[in-house]
Amino acid sequence: MTTQDTVAGLEGVGKAYGARQILDGLDFSIAAGSVVALLGPNGAGKSTLAGLVTGRLTPDAGRVTLFGRDPAHPEARARMGVMLQAAGLPDGLSVAETVALQASYYRRGLPVDEILDQAGLTALAPRRCDRLSGGEQRRVHFALAIAGAPDFLVLDEPTTGYDPEARRALWQLVRRKADAGTAVLLATHHLDEADALADRIAVIADGRLIADGPPSAIRARVAGFSLRVRTALSPDALQGLPAVTRVTPRGADTTLMSTDARATLQALFAADPDLRDFDVTGATLEDALADLLGPSTPGTGALS
Amino acid sequence: MTSLVAPAAGVHAREARAEILRALRLPQFVVPTIALPAAFYALFALGLGSGNADAATRLLATFGVFAMMGPALFGFGANVAAERESGLVELKRLSPMPASAHIVSKLAATVALGALSLVLVYGLAVLGGVRLEPAQWAMLAGVHLASVVPFGLIGLGFGYRLGQKGAIAMANIVFLGLAVGGGLWMPITMLPEVMQGAAWAMPSFHLGELAPMVAGRSDTAALGLHAAALALLTAAAALFAWTGHARQSA
Repeated sequence: MTTQDTVAGLEGVGKAYGARQILDGLDFSIAAGSVVALLGPNGAGKSTLAGLVTGRLTPDAGRVTLFGRDPAHPEARARMGVMLQAAGLPDGLSVAETVALQASYYRRGLPVDEILDQAGLTALAPRRCDRLSGGEQRRVHFALAIAGAPDFLVLDEPTTGYDPEARRALWQLVRRKADAGTAVLLATHHLDEADALADRIAVIADGRLIADGPPSAIRARVAGFSLRVRTALSPDALQGLPAVTRVTPRGADTTLMSTDARATLQALFAADPDLRDFDVTGATLEDALADLLGPSTPGTGALS
Repeated sequence: MTSLVAPAAGVHAREARAEILRALRLPQFVVPTIALPAAFYALFALGLGSGNADAATRLLATFGVFAMMGPALFGFGANVAAERESGLVELKRLSPMPASAHIVSKLAATVALGALSLVLVYGLAVLGGVRLEPAQWAMLAGVHLASVVPFGLIGLGFGYRLGQKGAIAMANIVFLGLAVGGGLWMPITMLPEVMQGAAWAMPSFHLGELAPMVAGRSDTAALGLHAAALALLTAAAALFAWTGHARQSA
């Protein structure tokens, strides 16, 4: 169902590349003003979903709408700003010229000074785009995305490959837009990114939505503690310990998920008196996802 | 609901202006494309022709085509490939910018650069003793500027299909092939017979033949034939460009 408050909607959407079915019968919608992180291993279908929402791709089955229209419609696109995973900039033009050109596509585009300010680029305005660092270029991409004062931002892996400082700087810029009421779709395989920005996390694997909710709910889907132990006990024996919900061998160590760390540890010490090497942490979003994606998903490793 | 998209005419104009600025700010592109035809004209027509105004006039017609060919093949071929590879084309496609603005801006930059190159060649021609009526200059310039269409389409066809490196290499091959094979540097009668036949498949050959005809400097008996052949080749180039463009969208 498409309502006034729906920014983008997918209904029963299927998309295949050749024989490979990327998405199958997917229903998904993004509400006005919400920040949705689309999380999943590489190749799960995140970029395909983002591509459908932006009208870059067309679905084989089902229906995709952007502001109630075909996503390829210029009036729909005029309300959307996009940052692509890999994008260049026009060499030969300055930052200010590049931004001004983009802003000129829109009737209600922001003033160039304001765009540069919101993207932290004021000092770089006269610099030519081909003479910027990677992080600076990424901020120009963000400036281009917000130039039309969009109601909806689509960010496809916005910080993949950038240093921590550049990543945090961009998060701050996105956060500010989100706080001002801009809806955001953030496709990422970085948990910290989703955790830092999103108020809703959708986990996609093998083209299906396997979890969808606020970050706290995703986290609550798994047991409360993560125990890393180095023990001689077999995985089967570990699985039989009290409160253990999940056993994951990782090299010489084993990670146990437990709903009650105290009960599990007591039983563990009783069963393996030699146990010396262990630590206990609260379950992280990463643990939650590893749990959701299951041990058979090889891509889980990408979620670190 | 009122439109949120800026009027198309203004967007086209601003894209064109930006594209011309870009081209002029990249010396590695400007210098060879503008200066090379003039330098070659000076060498072939003025130097080797040793002050022969007739030779200088004949070669002016073909070197004008040559002068437009470089910006068209490289501007549409190599630049579009580079922008595609960098994701810039994709980014523009997802904006409300009309798709035609991309091509129109490239066309504007190519014509601007090509016109600069033509001015140099024409200037040298006048220095070399070439004398034409104003109307003849105008007709000649018309044919020269129009040659951007077939060459630009050929460039686009490669730009849509190849990566940046491949497109630059291909533009170089096509550039030299069409120049020599089309008789732009020396008449095709000086080429082996096989190549004389192949010239008929090259728009550069027909443009080089048409230019002196419309300028009233050569026999116009074959004008219709060359014009028809050129139209056919341009249509083929358009198909080549269009099918390349169609491969873009999945």
